[in-house]
Amino acid sequence: MNIFIREMKDNRKSLILWSIGVLFMVMGGMAKYEAYANTGQSINDIIQQMPEGIRSILGFGTFDLTQAIGFYVMLSLYLMIMASIHAALIGAHIISKEEQDKTAEFLFVKPISRYRIITLKLLAALTNIIIFNLVTLFSSIFMVGYYSNGNQFIGDILYVMIGMFLLQIIYLLIGTGIAAISKNPKRAAALATGILLVTFILSMMIDINNKLQSIKFLTPFKYFEGKNLIFGDGFEPFYLILSFMIIAIFGTGTYVFYRKRDLNV
Amino acid sequence: MNMFLHELKAYRKSTLLWTLSLAILIILFLSIFPVFSQNAEEMKKLLEGYPEGIRKALGISIDSFTTLLGFYPFVFGYILLCGAIQAMHLGTSLIAKEMKGTAEFLLVKPVTRHQVITAKLLAALVSIIITNIVYLLVSSLMATFISTETLTINTFLLVSLTLFYLQLIFLALGMLFSVVIPKIKSILSVTLGTVFGFFIINLLDSSVGEKSIRYLSPFEYFDITYISKNASYEIPYVILSLAVILVAMGTSYFVFAKKDIGA
Repeated sequence: MNIFIREMKDNRKSLILWSIGVLFMVMGGMAKYEAYANTGQSINDIIQQMPEGIRSILGFGTFDLTQAIGFYVMLSLYLMIMASIHAALIGAHIISKEEQDKTAEFLFVKPISRYRIITLKLLAALTNIIIFNLVTLFSSIFMVGYYSNGNQFIGDILYVMIGMFLLQIIYLLIGTGIAAISKNPKRAAALATGILLVTFILSMMIDINNKLQSIKFLTPFKYFEGKNLIFGDGFEPFYLILSFMIIAIFGTGTYVFYRKRDLNV
Repeated sequence: MNMFLHELKAYRKSTLLWTLSLAILIILFLSIFPVFSQNAEEMKKLLEGYPEGIRKALGISIDSFTTLLGFYPFVFGYILLCGAIQAMHLGTSLIAKEMKGTAEFLLVKPVTRHQVITAKLLAALVSIIITNIVYLLVSSLMATFISTETLTINTFLLVSLTLFYLQLIFLALGMLFSVVIPKIKSILSVTLGTVFGFFIINLLDSSVGEKSIRYLSPFEYFDITYISKNASYEIPYVILSLAVILVAMGTSYFVFAKKDIGA
């Protein structure tokens, strides 16, 4: 329990900063909506008629941008990117920092097993990303509520946030997994962000070039897209199963590899 | 000289990686352009039928959208983001990485602190310059190869060079942060936090449309659409960037010379 509290304290400042960041993102993003709402229906026509490539490089989908929730879906992509950066960083950092900050010899001589240490650290990281998710959720509900004229939206936002949460867990565990496996603890965070950037750029390439649809499973950013969750098929079982598999693999990987890890002290 | 070489060696791998990624990224991005120019004409007709307000909201200047130079700013934004991360990470780690235990080794050597920071700075500059040279070569080759009409290479270079200026700003900012913040636990979080923070301000600004906000984010000091249209930089912002770089670097030198470094 002490470890959990210690980790929470350690991440407090960065969590506050990230929360403020996402708050501004939601507020600023939705403020942009006003410009679109005023143009009325015509902006939808124009976007409908755009060629696919142009549409995706500008960040539009086929959804109604004059509705607050339609605009929110466009924004949700950026929220998801932020959330996954946060999750990947915290995952890599929380595992690798003991070796990096030379506190490993202090922590690991305590009468607790490595399993326990990892579990408590994971719990602390999980709490962090849940708080981040809740901040996003409430600020989204508030801001979309402010702009939508009495339309239903809370369910839709919840849907997007559940998707975002799964994405957060995936990247958190990718972070911890890499930190547990990689020989050099300094490299863990950089590697995790590297993977994140590659998967992100891949998802953009898929958007721009339709022929790449078949490799969607390679990038988690394509598993739970706001536009599919709200206007499409919702959560697709295939991607749900795939995410749970990724989560299971990296989760057990973290435990298995860290248990036998030769610590750098 | 030893310090300079050592730093260069330390950054060899990351420079190589960043340079390669930027080059691959721009090749991928520019290879989309042919699809664009195909659709561009019909797109142009389509857009002309709509009122000014919409065209503004979409951020498209119709006249240039069909040419490579009109298309380039859209993808260049991502290059700038990556470049800023590289530079800021480099700048922050110059000093911050020594604080993790090698400071007592380095600082007892018979060199002044000014020499230390100068050597480090020069090494970082070389790394950034290499990245930029490769980027300029690859991107302009790719651009001439792919452009449907004759490309004004001067303007293209002017736009591409903003990568270098932006990197200088972020390098200086990173250095400033690394000497001013007492203890940096994670260099990467500081870097990503700052860069994305500025990037978000940049996004916010285009919505608020307030002119004064433009001074807040380095991402906006170089208005790419303006540069590609007028083939020149906006002088006030060039001066501002120079000032930011000089002040940040000057302060880092000054603070680092007197900094109390607990080993």
